[in-house]
Amino acid sequence: MLVGIDVGGTTTDAVLVEGKSVVKAAYVPTDHDNLLKCLLGALDELVKGVDTQKIERVVLSTTLITNMIAEGKTDPVALVLIPGPGTNPSDYNLGEACILDGAIDYRGREIDRLKESQIKEAASKISAQGLARVAVVGKFCQRNHAHEQKVAEIMRATLPGAKIELGHKVSGHLNFPRRAATTLLTVATKDKYKEFAQAMADALRQRKISAPVYILKADGGTLPLDSSVQMPVETIFSGPAASIMGVLALTPAGQTSVIVDIGGTTTDLALILSGKPLLSSKGAKVESLLTHVRAFAVKSVAIGGDSAVNVSGERMTVGPQRKGPAICMGGPWATPTDAMRVLGLTSVGDAAKAEKAMQEVANKLNCSPKEAAQKVVDVVVDKIVAEVGEMFKAWEQEPAYRIWEIMKKEKLEAQNVVGVGGGAPPLVPLVASRLGASAIVPDFARVANAIGAAVARPTITLNLHIDTERGEYIVAEDGLTGKVGDRKMTPEQAEKLARKLLDERAARLGIGEYSGEAEVTYSEVFNMIRGWSTVGRLLDIRMEIPAGLLASWRGC
Amino acid sequence: MSSKGKSGKTGLIFFPAFDWAISPTHPEREERLLYTRDQIFEEGLMDLPQIDEYKPRLAEMLDIARVHFCVPDVESQITEAHLIAAGSTLTLADALERGEIRNGFALVRPPGHHSMRVVHGNRGFCNINNMAVLVEYLRTKYGHKRIAVIDTDVHHGDGTQEIFWHDPDVLCISFHQDGHTLYPGTGFVNEMGGPQALARTLNIPLPPGTTDEGIHYVLDRLILPVLEEFKPDLILNSAGQDNHYTDPLANMRFSANGYARLNEKLAPDICVLEGGYAVETALPYVNTGIIQAMAGLDYSHLKEPDFVPGRFVQSEQMNREIEATVAQVQRLWDDKDELVKDALQGLGDFYRRKKRIFYDTDMINESQEETVRLCPNCSGYMTISSQAQRGYGILNSAFCVSIPRKACSSCREDAKEEYEEHIDDRRFGYVCMQDKDRDTFKFHNNMTHTQKSY
Repeated sequence: MLVGIDVGGTTTDAVLVEGKSVVKAAYVPTDHDNLLKCLLGALDELVKGVDTQKIERVVLSTTLITNMIAEGKTDPVALVLIPGPGTNPSDYNLGEACILDGAIDYRGREIDRLKESQIKEAASKISAQGLARVAVVGKFCQRNHAHEQKVAEIMRATLPGAKIELGHKVSGHLNFPRRAATTLLTVATKDKYKEFAQAMADALRQRKISAPVYILKADGGTLPLDSSVQMPVETIFSGPAASIMGVLALTPAGQTSVIVDIGGTTTDLALILSGKPLLSSKGAKVESLLTHVRAFAVKSVAIGGDSAVNVSGERMTVGPQRKGPAICMGGPWATPTDAMRVLGLTSVGDAAKAEKAMQEVANKLNCSPKEAAQKVVDVVVDKIVAEVGEMFKAWEQEPAYRIWEIMKKEKLEAQNVVGVGGGAPPLVPLVASRLGASAIVPDFARVANAIGAAVARPTITLNLHIDTERGEYIVAEDGLTGKVGDRKMTPEQAEKLARKLLDERAARLGIGEYSGEAEVTYSEVFNMIRGWSTVGRLLDIRMEIPAGLLASWRGC
Repeated sequence: MSSKGKSGKTGLIFFPAFDWAISPTHPEREERLLYTRDQIFEEGLMDLPQIDEYKPRLAEMLDIARVHFCVPDVESQITEAHLIAAGSTLTLADALERGEIRNGFALVRPPGHHSMRVVHGNRGFCNINNMAVLVEYLRTKYGHKRIAVIDTDVHHGDGTQEIFWHDPDVLCISFHQDGHTLYPGTGFVNEMGGPQALARTLNIPLPPGTTDEGIHYVLDRLILPVLEEFKPDLILNSAGQDNHYTDPLANMRFSANGYARLNEKLAPDICVLEGGYAVETALPYVNTGIIQAMAGLDYSHLKEPDFVPGRFVQSEQMNREIEATVAQVQRLWDDKDELVKDALQGLGDFYRRKKRIFYDTDMINESQEETVRLCPNCSGYMTISSQAQRGYGILNSAFCVSIPRKACSSCREDAKEEYEEHIDDRRFGYVCMQDKDRDTFKFHNNMTHTQKSY
């Protein structure tokens, strides 16, 4: 049996999955100040009368990091940058930073030396500020770790006990400011996350649940709780990730679906393209910071069931503000929920009150209440349909750097519109018919998020960079380098090396059993020509286990 | 007239064509923009609020035919990479005209500024003149009249010059390493345009070894004042990067900072990458600098690893040489109206010239005879008879007719007659008609008696 628990905005949902069926579901209200309590409350409710020895896996999706960052409850961090030549670091939106001399270039060659005295000075300054956490990030440090390591070494001596995080360990991708932001957030959340993970592990032990515990990440993958303390920021936005994985689990494989989650004031949209959830092309934006965290592309549209309906002149608008619940639910202002009630699309709330709400709107528009209700619903559906169109367009317009990518990019259209969340069921068929797609409101739509958590498989990404002229390979996130003797190394040989390294990392993270599911998702090879002859090759291989479902669920 | 003072973002299209090369070890190969990619991605430039990245699109055959007489047809002279490189400039033009961006940089390959009006093959690494395709698109689609093209590549922009030779509304200024010492061996001060457009082509040959100081002297003393007077609707920069002091194919001493400052002062509306083959030592830094300057970002932190200010100093003699060239070109510009008047007085109804064009990449020799009607009512139709030889055999021959925008009825009639007279004329394999006024283009094959239109 598999357990999935998702901490949502209003309730914390839990499900128990056996094979391909949902055996049981439980809900408790979410208490944002005590997430551990919500998770355990939902778990206790769920496993009442269940033999906990039969639980094979527990997956949690929490808003811990998201909330911590949103509420400014992260720990203070000193940011130390080694930017080298290029952009003025103050053009990045990273806040105050200590800037050090020294530089590495795109090939990983040192082009400017560190200054030891300057590093010591920076360390004393940090110490004087009373900071105990430091993020050290250098431009192109993912191609050569030496500078970051040296700075950490000197700082450790001056700042005993300080927590120092190095940029290359956080991300091997190109993009220095994103790496700096991600490193900053990692140090700022690591300790509190660790406390949470520890408490969670203890609580499960007390309940005699010995099954492995995983946490859901923003990319829809799971990671063992004890490994996740190394990369807490990856657990942000796991709520939308849980819903998307849930829809993936509850809809036919390989299809293209639009996921519509209609809430009170916002509607979240996401895409599954030919069976693959769409990731945002770069990393996630966390508050004002752009990061390297891989996350699904989710678009929030400011319209929902409780959005206020306004009429000025002959023009009617819906949202973005909310003045309270729907009139039919005892609220003060006409909303789309009232309109749906009048049209018989939903049975929630008081019909007479809804009628009265629409009558007021109708008076201003000079029409019948039913016509007014239809207009309100049309505005909402129009807005959602337009935004879905924009999402597909944005995906089609993602930059491409090779001819074949530009020539081969197919045009996809939605086959399904899938509704999750409370407000979705009545509107999904309307959106679907406008898009020429089928409407799906899965049986377990209410707990799709928890199901998604329960059946998501681990994800892992390994970036291998090989420079055969310099005779070395590098896996930044693992802080790993090695020698390459063959200047004419082929992509096939490189992929073999990547697979070996991925197997090793998966084993270290405790997800070795899944490493067979890894695939090469990116491979590039460039011959380096100097003069008129080939002096070496640059190879970049990305191997990953992308977001997907457990074999046990797929197999049924 | 330039992006200076306009607000908004800088549009950037990065199309490195990582799967296209002229040949595996050619300077124009897959690797050319690899380190540039690493640098600009690592800088996080695309994330900055001042910059918006666009996806390139393919130019249409029509966009190419509006500029070039491709022999035997457009399809035979292009690859998808050419269409994407040319199309990138058009995507930026549309974004600019929609007001989405204040300026744009098409960081694309393959380059184009050596491609001339008639195309039999590749010359100087170029098949399709991206810049000329952009100019004609801006004029046809958006009705711009006066456009200035500043060619800042180290090589003379001979293709662009040739395409706009007779056009007084397109000001072509090229500074470059002296043609006595570098491909393509042209671009001297006396090349200054056709009789109706004299001094709307300006060439500033510079001695090998010219530094930031010399190039900025040319910019400050000549190019900027001339632009001020010409008042173009748009300023475009053919932004080659091979004036750099590390370029392996040329001998100048321009720096990344010098390039950034040039673009800051010039404030082009759109930059299009041309050449530049110091793939590691120059391109990552020069491209970063151009992007920063266009986006109004601080570029004072940018420098090549081995560059120190004051590293290159020009000799007094070199200074004087550059000053003399600038003064000479300045006089031509000042006298432009008189030059045109004098030239037209001495000519009859037609102006003719013969040319030989060598395609270094494809080893083709072309000979042309170009005829322009000096029409009092419009800019006059043009015909070109072109013969291309490779080795000892004739490769292709074509008779080309071009009708200008706002052509008078007599030029239109005569041009049509010229076209029809050469249909099935056995001296030419192909007969081509470029009607810029109606934006329609015809290619007739005299051997198969078939016709293609765009």
